[in-house]
Amino acid sequence: MYRYDEFDERFVRERVAQFRGQVERRLEGSLTEDEFKPLRLKNGLYLQLHAYMLRIAVPYGTLNSRQLRQLAHIAETYDKGYGHFTTRQNLQFNWPKLKDVPDILDLLADVEMHCIQTSGNCIRNVTADQFAGVAKDEVEDPRPTAELLRQWSSLHPEFVWLPRKFKIAVTGAEHDRAAIKVHDIGLKLKRNAAGEVGYEVIVGGGLGRTPMIGKVVRDFLPKEELLAYLEAIMRVYNSEGRRDNKYKARVKILVHETGEEEFRARVEEEYAKLDGPTINAPEEEVERIAAYFAPPAYEDLAEDSATLDGARASDPALDRFVEQNGFAHKQPGYIALTIALKEIGAVPGDMSADQMRAFADIAEKYSFDEFRVTHSQNLVLPHVKKDDLPAVYAALKEAGLASANAGLITDIIACPGLDYCALATAKSIPIAQDIAKTFADPDRQKAIGDLPIKISGCINACGHHHVGAIGILGLEKGGRENYQITIGGDATEHAALGERLGPGIDAGDVPGAIEAVVETYLAEKQGSESFIETVRRTGAEPFKAGFTAFIEARAAAQSEAAE
Amino acid sequence: MAKEHRAGSKVRGDKLPAILMANHLLEGDVVFLADGGWTLDPSGAKIAHDAETAAAMEAEGKAAAAANAVVDPYLVPVDLTTTGLPVARHFRDAMRQKGPSVHPDMGKQAEYAPIR
Repeated sequence: MYRYDEFDERFVRERVAQFRGQVERRLEGSLTEDEFKPLRLKNGLYLQLHAYMLRIAVPYGTLNSRQLRQLAHIAETYDKGYGHFTTRQNLQFNWPKLKDVPDILDLLADVEMHCIQTSGNCIRNVTADQFAGVAKDEVEDPRPTAELLRQWSSLHPEFVWLPRKFKIAVTGAEHDRAAIKVHDIGLKLKRNAAGEVGYEVIVGGGLGRTPMIGKVVRDFLPKEELLAYLEAIMRVYNSEGRRDNKYKARVKILVHETGEEEFRARVEEEYAKLDGPTINAPEEEVERIAAYFAPPAYEDLAEDSATLDGARASDPALDRFVEQNGFAHKQPGYIALTIALKEIGAVPGDMSADQMRAFADIAEKYSFDEFRVTHSQNLVLPHVKKDDLPAVYAALKEAGLASANAGLITDIIACPGLDYCALATAKSIPIAQDIAKTFADPDRQKAIGDLPIKISGCINACGHHHVGAIGILGLEKGGRENYQITIGGDATEHAALGERLGPGIDAGDVPGAIEAVVETYLAEKQGSESFIETVRRTGAEPFKAGFTAFIEARAAAQSEAAE
Repeated sequence: MAKEHRAGSKVRGDKLPAILMANHLLEGDVVFLADGGWTLDPSGAKIAHDAETAAAMEAEGKAAAAANAVVDPYLVPVDLTTTGLPVARHFRDAMRQKGPSVHPDMGKQAEYAPIR
């Protein structure tokens, strides 16, 4: 894991001191709310429906046990005993008091954490594949790139006042788990014909009110040219991105309105003007960063573990957990585990302080003191010895963290929605809870297979509904909450935006509608096709028919009940 | 960045009776304008039954915001229960009167008597 050097340490401490002064000036009245708001947002502090909310950066989703214990301490001391992991691999506290926030930031700085770049029109916290350094299909670990980008973008003088926020995601694997095609910039580490490592550079993806799939602006960028090339992209965006209308200010709109070819030409033109060597990171700095992400001291083990095989044979629950939540590790004898923060009926992404402490112990003892946050609001233990898995499972179970539903229909992404968020137009979490309860039966979940459902409580799409195999968008219609259902969305290398099935429906009808969609899938499915593969083959039509039949049956039942 | 200003929720028809809601600057908690100050208790909110009172309450809210006591004050149209307590007409404002629906153990609903 990356460790702060003296510059990082000083920078973060100075920011805390600066914010402490700003809070003092706000409280004594020398800063108005209009003056203070952009300052607090630059430190991740929002004002939500019921209270302030503090968003803490988890760079590329990597944390250690010491940091998690500190988060547990903050949750208990300054909040209501829990935290919420977000779709950007960050953590939010929902109830901090303004007067306590400088102290919270100091506690975060003690464990090399902060809230910088979690809000405002800057380059936001960079996200990455949660299986970085683990996945077998990986060309290279994306974390050194993400860390380099963090250092480059932190307070970069040119990019502190962009037209709008800017999100970058990095993957080093063939299979995209970082949703790089729906970010402002997506980077994929790859090898060219000569065997050299570089990046595929994708620009202009995004969700929100105008969802777009990103466009490849460079098929292969030599690795050492990364920062200068990104600087060229940022300069084009910074000078040409719209500032007259915040809804049209993201780079996706610029790419769309300029046209892919023209945008690429402008970036290349800007790039030709730049003095690359003065911008790109020196090789020794790149190596220094990469050294922090060297593989841990794995033991030399056989691929298979007799201990695990025996335990799986005698414990069906463990067997199901490993089958569903296990992920193949590149190192023989090891496995990565997804910890789904998705117990049936729980709030997606929520974790109590007790769970944080228990999980910190597990990560410290069994996973080289490291874990990851995923954009699906889950956690990952990246390096577990297969021999240790029965003990790890028992400890997870004890902490209420052994939900064996990773990737299944009950592993739902949901934004905080109207339960917390000042921007939301409808509730999101209760919809997720109702669907999870409807499909609670493990055998039923297994029969349905992989099916990512993603729910947003407004068009800003923090719940990624556009790229859910089933997407749900909550809006307000005629003074009521109303939900639109889409299908066919995909956040992977096959990125696609979902298509609407029909008119919006009431909250109470959503679980039934999802059941109708699932029934259509099970009827249409060929062989071992997953839900998304079936939708890709059949298109949305059969699903629209199933959805319409459900709506009509509901309407008929309601009018009968009314008579 | 969050939207520039927290506007009141969209409510059709009559905007009265109404209460005035805001966030406490220091704590962040939802507060309601009461007779002679602000209260955390949703049942203690002062109710405007006529436009004149509503306008005076709105002015009081703006003054409190200018004096750095509260943030984002706005008038909230309500219906009255049989006992005369205010229930926000819009579900968003009603959520602010109670607290998160997914956590009945948190927020106003956990700390104050329910509005019935």
